[in-house]
Amino acid sequence: MPPKAAGSCQVQDEESLVRRAQKHDQEAFAQIYEEYFDKIYRYITLKIGDAVEAEDLTQQVFLNSLRSISSFRWKGKPFSAWLYRIAHNQVVDFLRKKKRTTVPLEETLASGGDNPQLAAERKLDVEQVLAAARRLTDAQREVISLRFTSELSIAQVAEVMGKSQGAVKALQHSGIVALRRVLSVTQNE
Amino acid sequence: MNNKEFDNIFNDCLERLLIKGESLEQCLAHYPEQAAELKPLLETALAAREASTIQPRPDFRARARYQFQAALKETAAGKSRTSWGWFPRWATVMAIVLALVLSGGGTVFAADSSMPDSPLYSVKLATEQVRLTLTPSQIAKAKLCAQLADRRVAEIAYMADKGDVEQVEILTRRLDEKLELLVVFIEGRGGIHLPGMMMAPPQEEAAAPPATYEAPPPTEDAASPPVAMTAPDKGWGGRDDSTQNGNRHELRNTLVSDAASNRAVLRAGLDDVPESARDALRRALAVSEEGYEEALDALE
Repeated sequence: MPPKAAGSCQVQDEESLVRRAQKHDQEAFAQIYEEYFDKIYRYITLKIGDAVEAEDLTQQVFLNSLRSISSFRWKGKPFSAWLYRIAHNQVVDFLRKKKRTTVPLEETLASGGDNPQLAAERKLDVEQVLAAARRLTDAQREVISLRFTSELSIAQVAEVMGKSQGAVKALQHSGIVALRRVLSVTQNE
Repeated sequence: MNNKEFDNIFNDCLERLLIKGESLEQCLAHYPEQAAELKPLLETALAAREASTIQPRPDFRARARYQFQAALKETAAGKSRTSWGWFPRWATVMAIVLALVLSGGGTVFAADSSMPDSPLYSVKLATEQVRLTLTPSQIAKAKLCAQLADRRVAEIAYMADKGDVEQVEILTRRLDEKLELLVVFIEGRGGIHLPGMMMAPPQEEAAAPPATYEAPPPTEDAASPPVAMTAPDKGWGGRDDSTQNGNRHELRNTLVSDAASNRAVLRAGLDDVPESARDALRRALAVSEEGYEEALDALE
């Protein structure tokens, strides 16, 4: 996760960088690209659960942002919120085309018989987390993805999702609880 | 305790654990009453954090960077201009025809974005040489050299990401050649028979195309168009002073931008590439910086 709060200096730097990028300053856009590329990739990977498919989508996010950056306006929201919104839309389009649906957690998990303590002691790998994340609700997965793989603060996640910080914290809590249940079941199988 | 209070406590523990670097035990010590409930959730959060170790594949990262850089340049230069934009239409047609003769089939277009580890890369180099030869004026040649130098930088970044030191060094030499050629054209010293322009690629370039495709290396005989096909060299456009000044100004802006973006690309690579490729990448960076500096000096 990033430092708790971005200082005003950092915000000004990013604003300056984005303004330069809007004027087709290639170096500025290259810096933005390097700064966000991995984060956006991880965000998409966790959202769709497929690291290879996430590659093309990530590249498309940056090509789309390049085409539309002139339309970005500073309205008190961080630039990252705009970029993640593009990524979110890209994912939505992708999932719509694939007609992939998320099966609600409550419908698929047995309520008993799992052993969370034992499961927690086992090492979890990335693939397990990705697979488990598919079983979360869209909102839970969004929060987990933004918080834990893209390393955004609660305030930044709230901006991206258009929700209050309290709502994001609640989703963070319910998402982790749900993730734990899925991982417990998976590891006991 | 209501849910909201627990959400806040849980979030505070996450901040302590993941940002401040406290241990799980230290976090739990702050909330002894909730420790039993918090512990399994924080363990799961740590597992989720593991997912943050996902990294794009080096191949993909390098190719994506190259494609993005190309799109960036195209956007900056205006949507109307394609990567063939500096090239007169008749010459573009001739270049494609010649390259097709050289390479056969519809490989030229696919080759245009190929990388040195691709079977089509030799087609790309051959096409570039044909384009350079058929470009009529010194200014257009200079601009084309700048484009080709850009390509070499993107290829260097790509091969460095893959840890291929030998290719990085070969590409660095090609970059150096292109930047030197750029200076030659800027200074108006470029004639039809410039060294390196229509010669076959150096031995290592043509040496090892994979067995699936073997493009013949361009040769003097095959690739050089008849002299009559080459438009008379008009130096900096052969026009009035204001046009020449405009061309120089435009080229200067392009080079300033290219120098900065290529420096950024190569420097960014230093953080990502395998340790074994870093020295070669540093040399490429030095060649790039020096080459652009000389080109800009030549424009003064």
